[in-house]
Amino acid sequence: MNPHDPIAVGSAARSSGEARILDRGYRRYDGPQRGARGAVRTLAIQTAQRALGLRRSFWSKVFPLLAVFIAYVPAIVFVGVTVLVNDLPNGQRLLDDAELLPPFGAYYGFIWAAILVFVAFVAPEVLCTDRRNGMLGLYLASPLNRNTYLLAKALSVTGILALVTVGPPALYLVGLTLNDRGPDGFAGFLGILFKVLIAGIAVAALQVALSFAVAATTTRRAAASASIILILLASATLSNTLVQGAGLDSNLLVFDLLFLPFELVFRIFGEGHVDRMWRQVPTSTVVGAYLVWTFGFAFFVWFRYRRLQVTR
Amino acid sequence: MNRPRTASTREDPVDQHVPTAAAASTATLPDLSGILGDAEPVIRAIDIVKRWGTTTALDGATFDVLPGITGLLGPNGAGKTTLLGMILGLHRPTSGSFEVLGLDPTLAGPAIRAKVGYSPELHTLPDDMRAHDLVRHIAEIHGLPRREATARASDVLWQVGLGEERFRPIGTMSTGQRQRVKLAQAIAHDPALVLLDEPTDGLDPVQRDDMLALIRRIGTEFGISVLLSSHLLEEVERICDFAVIVGDRRIVADGRLRDLTRRTEGVVVEVADGQPELILALRAQGASIELDGQRIVVRAPPSAPEDRPRGEDDDDLLADLIRDALVESGAGLRRMAPVRVTLEEVYMEAGS
Repeated sequence: MNPHDPIAVGSAARSSGEARILDRGYRRYDGPQRGARGAVRTLAIQTAQRALGLRRSFWSKVFPLLAVFIAYVPAIVFVGVTVLVNDLPNGQRLLDDAELLPPFGAYYGFIWAAILVFVAFVAPEVLCTDRRNGMLGLYLASPLNRNTYLLAKALSVTGILALVTVGPPALYLVGLTLNDRGPDGFAGFLGILFKVLIAGIAVAALQVALSFAVAATTTRRAAASASIILILLASATLSNTLVQGAGLDSNLLVFDLLFLPFELVFRIFGEGHVDRMWRQVPTSTVVGAYLVWTFGFAFFVWFRYRRLQVTR
Repeated sequence: MNRPRTASTREDPVDQHVPTAAAASTATLPDLSGILGDAEPVIRAIDIVKRWGTTTALDGATFDVLPGITGLLGPNGAGKTTLLGMILGLHRPTSGSFEVLGLDPTLAGPAIRAKVGYSPELHTLPDDMRAHDLVRHIAEIHGLPRREATARASDVLWQVGLGEERFRPIGTMSTGQRQRVKLAQAIAHDPALVLLDEPTDGLDPVQRDDMLALIRRIGTEFGISVLLSSHLLEEVERICDFAVIVGDRRIVADGRLRDLTRRTEGVVVEVADGQPELILALRAQGASIELDGQRIVVRAPPSAPEDRPRGEDDDDLLADLIRDALVESGAGLRRMAPVRVTLEEVYMEAGS
């Protein structure tokens, strides 16, 4: 067509109003591929987003964000109180810090319920749902394998659980430090921060391993959530009944899956547990039991997934 | 591995890319088996044995899957899904060896899976996820950078006919649309090979025709080799270049479809008039006759090789016989075609 031809130009102008996309075509992709490491990263991020309800409906966001908020409330309250209860002009304090502020290990006593509820709902959401809706088959047909899939899920859940196990004590530490009630010196601050990190991850790791083990046995989220809460509460009740009620060996307290990780936190911070019976359990026993439970549950999850039929 | 690629040069409007039932007709589709028949196999299985405990799922399966569209046929429970799992490197064969895209799935599973797309049998997908988000996510999982995955997710959803629906939650989609989403996620990362497990399951006849046409496009226009697992022989006959038939824990037949559905000794003859005269003439020449309505199935009388004229085979002799009978009877020929066995007959014959 000659563009200078008035007829041709006119006809082109007439048809321009009816322009349509003729073909989007199928494009080849020859660019870089990120391999298994990229797949783990992508899956971990996507899992965290879904567990926190991001890019999902309003109601999917409410519960996780509420649980996270509740875990931070005690830290906000304690730091707020230190701001409101000012020091006297002569340098004395209205209330002794020991009466006013809980030690770091004891802080978990205020948020264990939030942690319990959070872990009971998050793990089933990320594991049961994938098996129920067929996503597991799609994931394992990718560069991921069973081990890297579980690794991505564990990293993701441990990460978001750290929001409630590491975040609030870290906020508490920072708040106290800014109000001149924190540890002495920068080295002291770093020392406590390190313990906060270790303690938070330790609490998260056992909870994640247990909740994954339960979630690996069923595709029903509600059943898994209820089972996790039941197991934790039942183990606490049973072990305390055996030790305190029946007077059996206090080492049996390591079967208390609810408070075992928090007892480890006390040991990490070097604080004595308020419970006399727990004080009788050696630290080596607490650490050993913690490791056995954590790796035992992790092994169970790995074993369950090892021969799972996924190509359906 | 080099893949035969065809640049997309169609000038149809986008909405015409939604495949139609008419497009599914194999009469208009190119047969690639002749072109691709000598290519390197995308899958090579040698004496595969797979046991689950004491149960033998596959016993000595040996076959090649060449570039193109291959149907993996077999009844439910024949071991098709087990085979797909082993091709993906998700299960190890008890004995024997696999080669997929030139790699061993037991050693290079992740590398193979990065180049393979998979559409599972079940329709379940995350209901609250948008189709575009799912396809993009799976493309990212297969290693594509986020920006590229986003662009390709839109593109392939257009290609499978879900362009306008791509931002709808999957839970609001019909079974046919879900099957298309599964197909889109399987090809979004531009695989060299795509494994489709019962992709027409749960579809009505129109949706089924559309899906088959779409799969044919993937295998021809997009240049992706397709392994289509199905228990429906007719589907495989319609769109596949090759077939691997699994039955009774073994491979009962495999090869080019046109070779499997080979000519038999018979020829079908339809005449406009003079059928009785033609039958008499054929019988007079010793031919075996079988009447099927207006169709006459003619089979040649048995002959020793030394009786045949030099350079002619049984087919040539039968054609000569029918020609002579037509001339003698004066019947008006309407149609004449070799009798071909269907894939079903091959399957039944091999399985018996």
